[in-house]
Amino acid sequence: MRPFYKYILLTISIFLILGGGVSLFYYSIPTPPVGEVEYALASLQQASQSKAQRYSKKTYKKAKACFDSAMKHWNYQNKRFILKRDYQKVSYFAKKSAKLAKKATRSSSNLSKNLVITVRENIDKLSELIDNMNQLFHRLPLPEDYRNKISKGKILINEANVEFKKGDYLSASEKISVAEELIMGSYKKSLDDMEEYFNSQPYWNKLVRNTIRNTANNNSMAIVVDKFARKLYIYQNGLKKYEFEAEFGKNWMGRKRLKGDKATPEGIYLIKSKIPAKKTKYFRALLLNYPNAADIAYFNQEKAKGRIPKNAHIGGLIEIHGDGGKGTDWTDGCIALTNADMLKVYKIVEPGTPVVIVGSIADFNTVASNLNIKRSHTKG
Amino acid sequence: MKKTIVLGFAALTMVAMLSSCGKVPQEKIDAANAAIDSAKVAEADVYLAADFTAVQDSMSAVMADIEVQKSKLFKKFGPANEKLDRILTMAQQLKVNAAAKKEEVKKEVEGLMTEVATMMEENGKLMKKAPRGKEGAAVLEQMKAEMTAIEATITEAKGLYDNGKYMDASNKMKAAKESATKINTELNDAIAKVKVKK
Repeated sequence: MRPFYKYILLTISIFLILGGGVSLFYYSIPTPPVGEVEYALASLQQASQSKAQRYSKKTYKKAKACFDSAMKHWNYQNKRFILKRDYQKVSYFAKKSAKLAKKATRSSSNLSKNLVITVRENIDKLSELIDNMNQLFHRLPLPEDYRNKISKGKILINEANVEFKKGDYLSASEKISVAEELIMGSYKKSLDDMEEYFNSQPYWNKLVRNTIRNTANNNSMAIVVDKFARKLYIYQNGLKKYEFEAEFGKNWMGRKRLKGDKATPEGIYLIKSKIPAKKTKYFRALLLNYPNAADIAYFNQEKAKGRIPKNAHIGGLIEIHGDGGKGTDWTDGCIALTNADMLKVYKIVEPGTPVVIVGSIADFNTVASNLNIKRSHTKG
Repeated sequence: MKKTIVLGFAALTMVAMLSSCGKVPQEKIDAANAAIDSAKVAEADVYLAADFTAVQDSMSAVMADIEVQKSKLFKKFGPANEKLDRILTMAQQLKVNAAAKKEEVKKEVEGLMTEVATMMEENGKLMKKAPRGKEGAAVLEQMKAEMTAIEATITEAKGLYDNGKYMDASNKMKAAKESATKINTELNDAIAKVKVKK
């Protein structure tokens, strides 16, 4: 063989060996899990679009952490000698990330769909409850605390509405939960207070029936005051002759306990004296014999139990007087009528006329039904 | 001798082939990350949340691309370089836009504060004129409690405003405005009814 051919053959052999070596080297390089990482990334982006960071925070965070781990391992492996790289952990974390991201997307979508429904439902339910409570407000001397909580609840409903319109259903739901707690809590407590107050209703009813019977038996007259109905009735000979609108002390619900508590007393009283226009600043007045023996006994009992201060006084000067018609309970414990009504009563009744003041003639269920009060509002 | 030269040349060619990988655009990566951090400091995640997430997603995608290239024998960072340039521009623009949006929300809150303050003042005057007849006083009692709650909300909103949380302040002020408007409407209606009766 001539030397020229020898060289050609040698060069070809070298290139073949080199090419084979390079090919062997190239195909021995481990393949990174590009598809899995890309799928994990796409899944995370999908989760992010479905606001999983907000609605499925924990799962999304885990998915993101897994993706970061995948990237970290990938970066680490890429720093190693090309043939020594191992992408198993990259693949493991990428797959895990994708799985979690998908889960976060699903749960985020479900939660946001549910929230849209529940937040709307709760807003409607609370609005209905507020309407219902507005009727109660006109009748019950709700503690300022209840009133403030309800007002705060109303503002929170508005805030929830603002968040809802923006599509932030989670914030809206959080606001609604607080509003619900404030409003429901106050509503429930109001009903509890009212129900407790009505525990005395059978006794009140008996008092009123006896009083009316007495007027029939004795051909006499009596005044019956129904605080819950805000009425003053005049009975004569067993029959209801007159009916007037009445206003009471600010804290009318419950018995009068001491001077200055702005409560209107409950029990059987008598007209002690008639006070003409010149001697009263409330048009005309009928002074009652408050405190009676039962009031004094109750006062002493409460004092002995330490429920009222030792230096407290029982009070007095409870009257039926004019200057009413203000549409609210404003007296210090007296019963106020409009001047026109007061004039009629003043002319009709005489000292010694019995006056029975009760919480309510109607029972709780009747009152609750009339006011459309539902215990179900406070459930669930 | 000639044989050694040829073999040496072949070995050099192979080494050159293996080491002819492109360089990771670390400076660009750092610049893009810094721009994203800067946009976050400008509260782009609050005021332009969707855009901010999009930039973050793009950055994650580029980082994955870079790792893909790093895994290869023949690295090519050209497309990643281009993407990083785009992300840098996007993040820088996002920072500017977020600041603008924040200013816009701030102005909106200021406007709402003035508007609600005026309305509350008007409500106070209307309450004095409102009818106190049957049940009117009780309604006014409730309105007073609501006005107090609105005042408390305004105070909360002012606190948020002072702390630079304009978005939260805006939400609160919008709620306060709705409540104040409702009271205003109810009072005006009640007063108008009385006038009609007269």
